[in-house]
Amino acid sequence: MKNSTNEMIKRVRFHGRGGQGMKTASRIVGTASFLEGFFVQDCPLYGAERRGAPMVAFTRLSKEPILERGLIVSPDINIIADETLLGDKNANVFQGIWEGTVTIVNTHYPASHVRNVHGIVGEIVTLDVTEIALNVIGESVLSSTAAAVVCKLTGVISESSLEKAVTRELSSINLKKETIQKNVQAALICFDRIPEAHPHYFEPIKEDKKDEIVKLEYADACLGSPSVYAKGSTKLKKTGNWRLFRPVIDHEKCSRCYTCFVYCPHSCISIDGDGYPQIDYDNCKGCLTCFYECPKKVISKDREVKAW
Amino acid sequence: MSMKNAAYKKFKDISREEHISPGTALCTGCGGLLALRLAYKVLGENVVIVNAAGCFTLLSVYPYSPFSSSWMYTAMACAPAGAQGIRDALDILIKKGKLKSEENLKVVVLTGDGAANDIGLQSTSAAIYRGLDFYYFCYDNEAYSNTGFQMSSATPYGSRTATSLPGEINPQGTVQRKKDLFEIWRAHKPPYLATVSPSHPVDLSNKFEKASKFEGPKLFIALSPCPPGWSFDASNSVNIARLAVQTGIWPLKEAVYGEVKHTVIPKFKPVEEYLRTQNRYDHLFNPVKQVDVIDNIKKDVEQYWERYLDS
Ligand code: SF4
Ligand code: SF4
Ligand code: SF4
Repeated sequence: MKNSTNEMIKRVRFHGRGGQGMKTASRIVGTASFLEGFFVQDCPLYGAERRGAPMVAFTRLSKEPILERGLIVSPDINIIADETLLGDKNANVFQGIWEGTVTIVNTHYPASHVRNVHGIVGEIVTLDVTEIALNVIGESVLSSTAAAVVCKLTGVISESSLEKAVTRELSSINLKKETIQKNVQAALICFDRIPEAHPHYFEPIKEDKKDEIVKLEYADACLGSPSVYAKGSTKLKKTGNWRLFRPVIDHEKCSRCYTCFVYCPHSCISIDGDGYPQIDYDNCKGCLTCFYECPKKVISKDREVKAW
Repeated sequence: MSMKNAAYKKFKDISREEHISPGTALCTGCGGLLALRLAYKVLGENVVIVNAAGCFTLLSVYPYSPFSSSWMYTAMACAPAGAQGIRDALDILIKKGKLKSEENLKVVVLTGDGAANDIGLQSTSAAIYRGLDFYYFCYDNEAYSNTGFQMSSATPYGSRTATSLPGEINPQGTVQRKKDLFEIWRAHKPPYLATVSPSHPVDLSNKFEKASKFEGPKLFIALSPCPPGWSFDASNSVNIARLAVQTGIWPLKEAVYGEVKHTVIPKFKPVEEYLRTQNRYDHLFNPVKQVDVIDNIKKDVEQYWERYLDS
């Protein structure tokens, strides 16, 4: 691997949910690589959806100017910062992975479990990055920690470049000094925990370069402008996997005051026949408004670790 | 609004029927969504939403819809014009006997503050002028939050947005005052006009109930705490909306044919308590406290209430 750094290009794909910090993570990796003397490129891709919905970001680093553009279909490093995305077909987190891909999953499960359940090719590394972020930073923002994991796996980025890149990128989004320090600390812990870069070296595969222009057929207006005839069908989307914490009601102590039901922004609390609130865990996004507003304080929050 | 003859007195009076199903694409803890959900409980299911482009157009993303009723998507500027078309069509169908009058629908425009205050203002003015029988629901998250939280003319003075970052020249962030949309609309003397907050569901429900008695334009501005844009934890939307009311920053009021009445007289907690809950105001406190800017915000609130409490 050492001999090949001159012509190498590394393509990193980040999968996360909006608000988790994957865009910033891709920037930190970009800046750290730049500080190591690489040409770099980074960009995020959001769908139309909001915070909590799946998103991807990309970083390319190379000793040569980078002429590739656009999405990374076959990543060398593929980080899945939210384990619930593994089961989400739309998020397509395994797209284009090959035997040379190192997939890193943020989970408390061991790598063998992830491999058995999902049959992932290539190497798998797991680390409970969220746990580290919660312990050290105090919130589940994964930008610096995820970046640290990737930096280590590239095998070509030093601790000091990582540290500088975290500081630089987080300062540019106006974070407080102490928050940045905590982020650096958490990043260094992750850097340390990840084993040395994978020993096998594979020739990086070329990205598919078919310059095909896809021609769209003419479609009649009634086909071209979609209509939805179902009522209330978004509940089929099951947004429960957006949740980081699970609100749990202690029904024995609940006074049936309706506060949680009234204030749930996502219509996820209903009142049962006996007047008790019941949470729809298939869809509850874990905003914890109910936890915060319950006047009796009988709703607790549990860290969600087994979403799939 | 006197509580005695109000339709809603407590949380238990609020309908258990949901008209916006779970599973939408909106952000975890969206304050505007909570306001809309509560409003919908009063409006019921005989509704057609005319939605100007913005965050809430993502409620219905093909092939899904969270609504118990109909929904149509328009460009930012023209939701009230779309509402006119639908209203006219419904009226014609009823007149021709093709639609039973009990199947009549309430036409509800749904827009963000960007569309309401900026590009959609003229079509709203025209619709009020024509006396169109419709509801207008503006979720006011005080910026263009769908596209990354750029400043709108509803962005408050002293706050940070992506396009009014605090810096050397403007350490306070946003320089301009928030447009007074309530007063702009009130100048048209519509039958009913109100501000609401998701922290005050009973007040909100009574206002929608009261509005239903009027024919013509019925307009609402809902305070909509926005976790990613205002930069606070998703569990805090209701609390922040409540503080906005309690500090006097967000007056809860209504105007019937232009006659204003405040429905909640706040306790006037210090405005700092509200400002400190959101990182969009962090630069007013760190690294040095910008006392002059905070004082200006205080003064604006005091002057507003002096005017109303005197009269
Ligand atoms: S955590 Fe949020 S979405 Fe889940 S039940 Fe509580 S209020 Fe509703
Ligand atoms: S807010 Fe608390 S006490 Fe009230 S109904 Fe909900 S769980 Fe029970
Ligand atoms: S950006 Fe703000 S207003 Fe828009 S959906 Fe998210 S929380 Fe709601």
